[in-house]
Amino acid sequence: MLPVVVVHGGAGFVPRQRSELSVSGVCSAAGSAYGILKGGGSSMDAVVNAVTLLENNPAFNAGIGSVLNVRGDIEMDALVMDGKTLASGAVSAVRNIANPTQLARLVMEKTSHACLTAEGASQFARAMGIPEVPVESLITDYSRMRWQKNLAADANPVECQMGKMGTVGAVAVDTEGNIACATSTGGMLNKMVGRVGDTPCIGSGGYADNNIGAVSTTGHGETIMKVTLARLILFNMEKGQSVEAASDSGLALMKSRVDGLGGVITVDPQGHWAARFSSLQMAWAAAQSDTLHYGLYTGEHFTQNIDDPESHYPKYKA
Amino acid sequence: MPAVIVVHGGAWAIPDELAEASVAGVKVAARGGYSVLRRGGSALDAVEAAVRSMEDNSVFNAGHGATLNTDGEVELDAIIMDGRTLGSGAVSCVKNIPHPVSLARAVMEKTSHTMLTDKGANLFAESIGMSTVPTDSLVTEYEWREWEKHKHYVTGVMEDFNSQWAHDTVGAVALDHAGNVACATSTGGIRNKMVGRVGDSPVVGCGGFADNCIGAVSCTGHGESILKVTLARLILSHIERGLSVADASQMSLWFMGERVLGAGGAVVVSSAGQWAATFTTERMAWASVENDVLSYGLDPKDVRKEKLLFE
Repeated sequence: MLPVVVVHGGAGFVPRQRSELSVSGVCSAAGSAYGILKGGGSSMDAVVNAVTLLENNPAFNAGIGSVLNVRGDIEMDALVMDGKTLASGAVSAVRNIANPTQLARLVMEKTSHACLTAEGASQFARAMGIPEVPVESLITDYSRMRWQKNLAADANPVECQMGKMGTVGAVAVDTEGNIACATSTGGMLNKMVGRVGDTPCIGSGGYADNNIGAVSTTGHGETIMKVTLARLILFNMEKGQSVEAASDSGLALMKSRVDGLGGVITVDPQGHWAARFSSLQMAWAAAQSDTLHYGLYTGEHFTQNIDDPESHYPKYKA
Repeated sequence: MPAVIVVHGGAWAIPDELAEASVAGVKVAARGGYSVLRRGGSALDAVEAAVRSMEDNSVFNAGHGATLNTDGEVELDAIIMDGRTLGSGAVSCVKNIPHPVSLARAVMEKTSHTMLTDKGANLFAESIGMSTVPTDSLVTEYEWREWEKHKHYVTGVMEDFNSQWAHDTVGAVALDHAGNVACATSTGGIRNKMVGRVGDSPVVGCGGFADNCIGAVSCTGHGESILKVTLARLILSHIERGLSVADASQMSLWFMGERVLGAGGAVVVSSAGQWAATFTTERMAWASVENDVLSYGLDPKDVRKEKLLFE
């Protein structure tokens, strides 16, 4: 059952015409990460690889393609966690770099700290030789369009949150049984300057522990934080619940107690995995035993051989 | 429902020259928070009042008395959480605000967000009339001297956790007469930390957590270790399973010591009114009030009590 990697591209509402983009994006990321695992690479290398690809893919709300804050600027959050040591690295509200997840990993590996924010994170990036990129290189027409729409006085907040591609993330168990997670996001559309969501908050945006499993979350950040969703799901697993039951009860509590929707990918040390969501959709893909699994709408679970070059997701007419 | 408040002024090897002032400070904070509860105030009001009192007190590393980062600047973190709604407010690396806990509460009550950082947090503070103060009004002479002394230590290098390092974050938990619980935690971080370093204090589930169904926790100690085990939420998970507040705290702190070699402390109140102040560091300044009795301590197993008199 090992190795295994699961990837998500955000929980929310994805307009039909962007369905293919989101599914093919997560499938490519899962395939690439799986290749690393099969070659003996670590779960940390795999999750960082998967999430980096999604950051570089303008179709997702992470790295390139991140949503804009109220000022039209990009501020990104990311988290990585190593289930063997419980070490983590996070960055919040970091600007002008292409790959926040890699920077989060450097925080974990090269400093004695666990989280750096804003200007401090940028200073550290410079010290690590990470190139600074102009914000324009991260802004897509799509994200600018959604930002403009949301600025209008009569903007419909529900409609404006729709169609935003989500936070991205990955969880993996490698051939040595080490578990890791990574999550990355541009945050919430038109958020206040300096707003930090669940993503870089350990226990909320993600958590990994070799003895229990790993989770990466997506959805309405403020509500995820109210229930520390990632850690909650792992508490459920510690009580003996399966990956599906633990994920579903965590999401159910989030809905009933604080009226929030979201999605999670979860894995346990044996390689059992689940991709569950209470929102309308979540683009997800998993790779295990040379099989690629993927879906978007509730109940979908497509499979194909991992070596098949393209996803065979049903094409929707735009 | 009998009201309870428990406060801490940091878990670390508090030196003798700071001991008396630390204990005096937590006693004042606990009494202040308890007065709020006694006149029917909310747990949220009580923890804010207690933490503000310690932010005003320069013996503690929060607001006044904050430690400096490697650039000689003040960067403050705080969180407050309402056990009734599970709402929370937090600020990380906000500069030169005398009461970060109140700014955190404003994030919770005046925005649709849960956490603001750095410049965004300062912008928000300005927008609600909470002005910054000069660094010198927050930083003590003692701190400037200590900062100079430690400058030659290389920051960013992995080091084994050392409980000699000052960890005097402040915090409080409370249970009010209506049965609501709340927590608050505030800190200036670690001396000579990297610019922009965020520790456990403002991270929900780590520096603190409050849930009317279980209880409230505020943590202190080695921030990076507290983050690794999501200490506040871990303690509450044990209480959920049926452990007493003392056992839940001890088990969680023991786990933190074993798994990630970190030491710290926590104050806890359960929704049933049980409370505990527990620590694995050499000392922790703490105080609690329940049924008009003030309890307080510094060294392990050393608990003193005083009956409080009210007109």
